[in-house]
Amino acid sequence: MPLEPFKSAEALTMGVELELQLVNPADFDLSASASDMLHLLGRGRFPGDVKPEMTESMIEVSTDVHVRHAALLAQLEQMRDALVAAGDRLNVALCGGGTHPFQRWFHQRIFARPRFHELSTLYGYLAKQFTVFGQHVHIGCGSADEALFLLHALNRYLPHFIALSASSPFFQGVDTLFDSARLNSVFAFPLSGRAPFLLKWEDFERDYFAKMEKTGVVKSMKDFYWDIRPKPEYGTIELRVCDTPLTVARAAALACYLQALCRMLLERADAPPAEDDYLVYNYNRFQACRFGLDGTLVHPKSNEPLSLREDILATLRRLEPHAAALESRAALEEIYRVAAGEGNHAGFLRRQHAEEGGIEGVVDAAVRCFREEVRT
Amino acid sequence: MTETLMGVLGQIAWPLALAVAWLAGEFGHRWLALPRISSYGIAGFAMAASQGGFLPDPAGGPVALLADVAFSLILFELGYRINLGWLRANPWLLVTGIAEAYLTFYVVFLIAQALFVPLLPALLLSALAMSTSPAAVIRVVNESRSSGQVTERTLHLSAFNCVLALVAFKAVVGYGVLFSAGSVFQAVWSSLVVVLVSAGLGALFGAVVPGLLRFLGGLARNATVVFALAVLLLTALTDALNFSPLLAALAFGVVARQRRVVLSQVQRNFGALGDLLTVLLFVFVGATLDWRQAFTGVQLACAVVLGRMLVKTLATTLFARLSGVTWRKGMLTGLAMTPLSAFAILLLEQTRYLKLDLLDEVAGVMAVILLLEVLGPLMTRWALVWAGETQRREEA
Repeated sequence: MPLEPFKSAEALTMGVELELQLVNPADFDLSASASDMLHLLGRGRFPGDVKPEMTESMIEVSTDVHVRHAALLAQLEQMRDALVAAGDRLNVALCGGGTHPFQRWFHQRIFARPRFHELSTLYGYLAKQFTVFGQHVHIGCGSADEALFLLHALNRYLPHFIALSASSPFFQGVDTLFDSARLNSVFAFPLSGRAPFLLKWEDFERDYFAKMEKTGVVKSMKDFYWDIRPKPEYGTIELRVCDTPLTVARAAALACYLQALCRMLLERADAPPAEDDYLVYNYNRFQACRFGLDGTLVHPKSNEPLSLREDILATLRRLEPHAAALESRAALEEIYRVAAGEGNHAGFLRRQHAEEGGIEGVVDAAVRCFREEVRT
Repeated sequence: MTETLMGVLGQIAWPLALAVAWLAGEFGHRWLALPRISSYGIAGFAMAASQGGFLPDPAGGPVALLADVAFSLILFELGYRINLGWLRANPWLLVTGIAEAYLTFYVVFLIAQALFVPLLPALLLSALAMSTSPAAVIRVVNESRSSGQVTERTLHLSAFNCVLALVAFKAVVGYGVLFSAGSVFQAVWSSLVVVLVSAGLGALFGAVVPGLLRFLGGLARNATVVFALAVLLLTALTDALNFSPLLAALAFGVVARQRRVVLSQVQRNFGALGDLLTVLLFVFVGATLDWRQAFTGVQLACAVVLGRMLVKTLATTLFARLSGVTWRKGMLTGLAMTPLSAFAILLLEQTRYLKLDLLDEVAGVMAVILLLEVLGPLMTRWALVWAGETQRREEA
């Protein structure tokens, strides 16, 4: 199957996908309830889109295309309320968080769909270990070349999103000491990582995709698990490094941070991206996963060490005019609060663990957070 | 010489029986894909003295008390999985529970009457038939690692119908006492007071033990042991006072759950202790049955088993859509609720002291229990598999 043509979209539009955990409120383990939830949600009108994911204990929701923060947040809240109501009728709790703190991957049940079973056969235990939960943000691009430019121009900011969204400190029952343990699971896949450095769509198609397809390793863009990937059928780039945050408000804020950042980059505010930027890419990515906001980055152009937290705060100052133009000040204020004070959700979950003393209490807190019964 | 040999044999009879039953469970599971508890029951039945085996009738002995403890642990675990908030959020589930339990009572009573069972035994049989054995359900659920709506609903509805059955059973017993002894005081005591005090004791434990755990903090890292000890104590206490250990354990679990000190997954079934006691429980249940009694009541048994299954399935199917699942999953929930045995046997066991001897008249009861001993867990397992809620073998 050749690469489909890149459909142009309205620039700087955005859409959000959230992978959510389905949890049994009795023991707080994952609950294989996706089919039951989808059946019940399918009976009414769901304010958005909802679909199954790889295993029966996760569910994926996505918003419509949005331009403004307020409308995006409103839709996310409506979807959240519909999910919580359906969950209450079925004794299923929902929560965000990049990993479930203590589920055992070998207990997960693969959702009955041919593609999922194919993947499960191919990747074996990797597929089940992939019971991790991410937020994907789509940003609309006017052209394919603009998409590739943004994709690479964002390379230096990628750690921001990892650190701000990180909500997966616990995995398989232990504190991993990573803020985002989820990305370690993603990294195990052979086609994960970064996209090849090609800035023209026809080059990408001819010199990379066609060759890869000929090898038989991939059939479509779906087979790449890159941190950011172009999505030709939507005309977007898709950022995939975020853990699903504990609240939909945080999810909306992260999307708007990306939107404002893209607006700034499209004005060519930074030096143009280069292949050599990627020399520090994996190191920076690791710093963000491991230490969250306390990580130290190496600037790809100047090679100076930078505090990740300081770098986010500096970027927020540069984004002020763009936030004003996009009416997303409220979103960036939330990002500011995270970076300057309260910290990310990984920190919140660790504090819950210390206070409650049990790993189940961590899930309980995440569930109550999603319902907004508690503040992070 | 033979006397010494018999003496030794008598002493090792139970441990030996448990070992044999355990082996039967493993082989039955591997070769015939039988749920393990079905094999335990059959093994116990085959080894019992009434079938010419070496196991003496365990009724009234220390083994009976151990079986009570085993069952109480299971009921506690079931209670701990009950989310009362769910019934509030989804009242149709409550309606389903009430409907299936009382319709079962009514239909079984009609069947018994039609087959000329006297009034009191017919009432007792009907009350027993309302319940779904939580032991069978929870063991099959844990064994097949199932999760989903059929699983959750079967667990909740079986907890629910056990309470209703227990109350109905005690009411009938009260009526029976009034009828035979003519004492209002004794009648009220053996029904209303027993139910209220048992539930009250359980609730008290449920309030105190989690508080104690919280107070101990790091000292009591392993909540499983604390809960197991508490269940042991509660069972011995209620048993000594002739209250209902079953109701007390269930109430303990439900109340403890609302206080939220969470059992982790490792402690499901109370670990190895629970596994061992489950073997004992089902061997005990099997060993109390006598094939002669069972054989004479086979016609009644078939009618009751079939009628009960139909009514339960009908009720769960009827309210399926209203309570938020497909017709299919509703129907499967009804099928999954087939098991009966352990709960019924222990209930009967605990009324022995009243010397009513009503049930020995109803040979059918034994046959019903024997039939469901094998059939019940199997139906539960099939229902869960058909619902797609178990781990598929290819992925295990």
